[in-house]
Amino acid sequence: MLKPNDSIKMTNSSEKDESNETAYNSRSLILRLLALAKPHTLWLSAGILLSLITLLANIALLSVSGWFISAMAAAGIAGVTMNYFTPSGVIRFLAIVRTAGRYGERLVTHNATFHILTHLRHWFYLKIEPLAPAGLHAYRSSDLLSRLQHDIEQLDNFYLRIALPVIVAIIALPILLTIAYAYYPALALLLLLALIAFALLLPAYIAIRTQKTGAKIAQQQQHLTTAIIDGLQGIREFEIYAVSALQQARVEQCSQTLANSQSSINHVNGTAQSVSLAIINLTVFISFILLSSALANKLIAQDQLVMLLLFTLAIFETVTPLPMAFEQLSATLASAKRLFMLADQSALREESEHSADISQLFNKQQLSIDIQKLSFSYPNTPSTAVLKQLDLQIKQGEKIALIGASGSGKSTLVSLLQGFYPSPNNSILIGGIDINHCSGEALRSQISLVSQSCYLFCASIRDNLLLANPNATPEQLDQACRIANACEFIDKLPQGLDTWLGETGRGLSGGQARRIHIAQALLKDAPILILDEPTEGLDPISEQQVMDAIWQLMHDKTVILITHNTRLLKNIDRTYVINNGYSQELVT
Amino acid sequence: MKKPASTAELSRAKQWLKQQKSIAGRSLTASIVTSILAGFCLIAQTAVLAYLVNQVVFLDQQWLDHTPALSVLLVLILIRILLIKYTEQLAFKGATKIKLSLRNSLYDKLITLGPSYVSEQQSPQLAQLLQQGVEELEAYYARYLPAVAFCAIIPLSILAVVLPIDWLTGLIFLVTAPLVPMFMILIGLKAESLNQKHWQQLNRMSNHFLDVIQGLAQLKLFNASRAEAQAIADIADKYRRSTMGILKIAFLSSFALEFLATLSIALVAVIVGFRLFWGELDFAIGFMMLLLAPEFYLPFRNLGSQYHAKMKGVAAAQQMLEILNATPAHSGQGKAKLNDNNQLSICFKDVSFNYPNKEAAISSISLTIDGPGLYGVVGPSGAGKSTLIDLLLAFLQPQHGHISINQQSLTDIDKKHWHQHLAWVPQNSQLIYGSILDNIQLGDVNASTEQVLAAAQQSGVDQFVNDFDDGWQHLITEHGRGISGGQKQRIAMARALLKQADILVLDEPSAHLDSETEQWLNQSIAQYAKDHIVIVIAHRLHTVKDAKNILLLNDGQLWAQGTHQQLLDSSDLYAQLIAANGELSQQILAAAGNNQVNLNKLDVDCTHTTGRNTNSSEAKDA
Repeated sequence: MLKPNDSIKMTNSSEKDESNETAYNSRSLILRLLALAKPHTLWLSAGILLSLITLLANIALLSVSGWFISAMAAAGIAGVTMNYFTPSGVIRFLAIVRTAGRYGERLVTHNATFHILTHLRHWFYLKIEPLAPAGLHAYRSSDLLSRLQHDIEQLDNFYLRIALPVIVAIIALPILLTIAYAYYPALALLLLLALIAFALLLPAYIAIRTQKTGAKIAQQQQHLTTAIIDGLQGIREFEIYAVSALQQARVEQCSQTLANSQSSINHVNGTAQSVSLAIINLTVFISFILLSSALANKLIAQDQLVMLLLFTLAIFETVTPLPMAFEQLSATLASAKRLFMLADQSALREESEHSADISQLFNKQQLSIDIQKLSFSYPNTPSTAVLKQLDLQIKQGEKIALIGASGSGKSTLVSLLQGFYPSPNNSILIGGIDINHCSGEALRSQISLVSQSCYLFCASIRDNLLLANPNATPEQLDQACRIANACEFIDKLPQGLDTWLGETGRGLSGGQARRIHIAQALLKDAPILILDEPTEGLDPISEQQVMDAIWQLMHDKTVILITHNTRLLKNIDRTYVINNGYSQELVT
Repeated sequence: MKKPASTAELSRAKQWLKQQKSIAGRSLTASIVTSILAGFCLIAQTAVLAYLVNQVVFLDQQWLDHTPALSVLLVLILIRILLIKYTEQLAFKGATKIKLSLRNSLYDKLITLGPSYVSEQQSPQLAQLLQQGVEELEAYYARYLPAVAFCAIIPLSILAVVLPIDWLTGLIFLVTAPLVPMFMILIGLKAESLNQKHWQQLNRMSNHFLDVIQGLAQLKLFNASRAEAQAIADIADKYRRSTMGILKIAFLSSFALEFLATLSIALVAVIVGFRLFWGELDFAIGFMMLLLAPEFYLPFRNLGSQYHAKMKGVAAAQQMLEILNATPAHSGQGKAKLNDNNQLSICFKDVSFNYPNKEAAISSISLTIDGPGLYGVVGPSGAGKSTLIDLLLAFLQPQHGHISINQQSLTDIDKKHWHQHLAWVPQNSQLIYGSILDNIQLGDVNASTEQVLAAAQQSGVDQFVNDFDDGWQHLITEHGRGISGGQKQRIAMARALLKQADILVLDEPSAHLDSETEQWLNQSIAQYAKDHIVIVIAHRLHTVKDAKNILLLNDGQLWAQGTHQQLLDSSDLYAQLIAANGELSQQILAAAGNNQVNLNKLDVDCTHTTGRNTNSSEAKDA
């Protein structure tokens, strides 16, 4: 039986990702993230400058206030007069600079960061677009979505809470320590040591302690989500087999594992927080003793002790964001790594620069398809040949059918024809041209596909149709819908063609969606038509309607039809059987 | 997409969030107490430091003369550090308890609400709420609530210390303090409404991204995938602007806060300075005031920075309340046990069911399933087949009419007990996290090895199990990863057969299978139907051709019933369905196997049995 306490052995894609450590070490990730921010350098620099001004104004405010009250007290005791207008004016001025500066700094830095994130989303899409669909098969769409959404969102931490405070601290600290040195060198030394402990040792401690757990958490969250989704989607079965409790235990276990990881991170953070508090307070404590001795030895003036004491307290504001920054670092870099690893994949099918020109040679009148001795195996399973020495000749305008058991390589052939995978040289010729010599785009512009896996977007029916041919006139849309038998239901919809299709084209039945795909194929009007199980998954009535539409569509095209359904074979010239990757013509 | 919440809903959600505190036991309260104690330590610390500074600076004393005061200072610092550490740990511990318990009760409730509720709300969204939504409560309990308590007590305590020793500084605090919450509320209200819009924007972006990702292959097919990059940039930019809109308001609120706080601190410094100059104030007191001034405003600032945590927590809580307050579609559940006869008979009498706000899915259906045999349920999609099965599985209860099992009303029977008599294989089976063997054994934990092997053999699991290096122990992880759809389906079938339940319900069992396996499976089903009730929802009608009784549903009604031949003679709709169905796929696949079939002959057969086909092709020719 299932043992809920079994250690979790996951073999999903994200874990395999971990193997490639060297190319994605923290250093190179940080450098790449910084490089991506380059277009926004101006905004970022403005943000850094404002942060710096705000920080210095605040430290000055506290120190000047400290000096002011001691000087005033000393003057009061001594009964001498002093110019109090200037310092009290300075105090008010610093207060305003600090507040206004803080507001401006936040606006500017956040704006810059979100510009970077917007840019990153665009960049990431452009990176994964060439990979689709072949290169993305290993990832589920929810996984890709979480990269596009959550992982990129996570990167705002890098710019706002990691890079910015570190840069500001690097600029501010030398200035501040020089000032301390000018008043009392020993104090500067004490501060230097304390700041090193606070800004370097403490973050290093946090980083070491949380690195592994931080990376694990993202994965554990994923496990939890999947366990919940499985449990909810399988609710009927789990109830009937009386194992709802088991699945619930699995959810609880995932939830607990996640909580344990979070707890260990929290533990480190708690410790770090107390240690940082200890460093600040003990530094103030020691500097009081140090400054008292200095005062006794007349190394500093009477009105300087309080000022320097408050300066000591305030200087830590420069480094307070740093421990938390490093706490975020591991999770942020894990996100960056996930993004970069996917973005760095090279497309399976290389497209050379001049390939587009060759496609001009396509003559729409003479697009025969010539497949000669085509052998193919998927890149991730090179030892298993899916297609073996496949031969297939289809003349312009000919209509052929492919039948064969599932897994015999029919769908692989469809992917190859669309240029989603590289094919062996001179094995697939369209119109006499090796498809490896033309760009995927040029190739696909010659092909229409209707299959069970076709997708409808969350948009109006009209927009979905226009996708196939952006220049189609309303008359052409109407005509396509009529031929595709789609008018029959579209006309009944209150908003007709402007009906919005919900999530994954919800609101339409399988047969209706299929007919819209046929209308799309009609609009695209490509000379080659591939039908991949076009009636699969439909109830008999819808199937009939879809088939009627398909026969209209096939009319003047070169057709490759993949099907189990013999009724579709009516208007087919030749039928091939594909078995174990070989093709054989059935009956001529 | 979430609709904006009414004020009543919001306050109900806030109320509920506070009630859940009790789950954490004493941890949360303890963390609040320790944080407040740490606050007291801080006040004491400033007093001691001010005293020491005064002694050294103005009374010309050596620090060495004040070791007792220095020791007190050191002890206060240490105590405070420990208290802060405990605060953090206790708060997290409490919040974790709440998170785990809420996640569990939400999951529990969803199971109770049943499959119709879950599919209506969509499981990915629900999972998002159970995972991310529940996580969002951590910040609410571990940060926001302690910040509220801290804010209620520490400024007042500081005021209580300051007023008696320096009324003027106390007055400044007293005048400015009420302004802080006022500003925060004013700006917070604006932020709250903006926040709602922002979530919509986030949802929109997320939906768009998902849409594009799922349809990327389709976009490529139309060579539109590059153009889509611009749309991605546009929607991401809209999201950025919406985020900045929110943040501008949020920053404004912290600006107001800091402006008040910083000016008051400056004012305290200047006034204290002058009074020291005039000799109206002791330096120790004055310095202490200056040290306390920032601490007075700090709790407000902390609270302000936790405001976001609060809004997120309340938003999540609203959605959780919707689930927790939802009532199950079926009223109470019976406790009676089923009278187990050897033979079961199922009787639907005048049964109607409609989903909320929808047309009737099933109307006035009466039918009887009596004794072992294969029963088919057929009809066009949307005819009510799935609803009928959900009613039989007791996941739904009819609004009208009665379902009885052996003359006993189904509503009176304990659901768990009823489910013991059932096995069910849907179109997309769900497996549990565990080995192949574990999954099959779910059907019957006590089954012998022979029984498991027999079930595996009947369902065709044994044909692929040895392809895995680890065979029966092959681990199936989340989402059934690690095996193919057809393999999953066969494991589900083995599980069902092993259970040897009186009633086996199958929903389109052959959908993911190749023909060979399908045939194999159909034989096993026929075998099983000899001494059990087997109900098959079929799209490929040949599966149920030999059924004892076929129920033909259309538009939620029982259109006709009878054997294949009876229906063929009596029902036009059935004849149409048969006509429209690829009757001969069996033969063609045999052809694919041995490559010896004359297609032309097939075509003749085809036209012979399927009149409608000929008509349509003639129509096309004309």
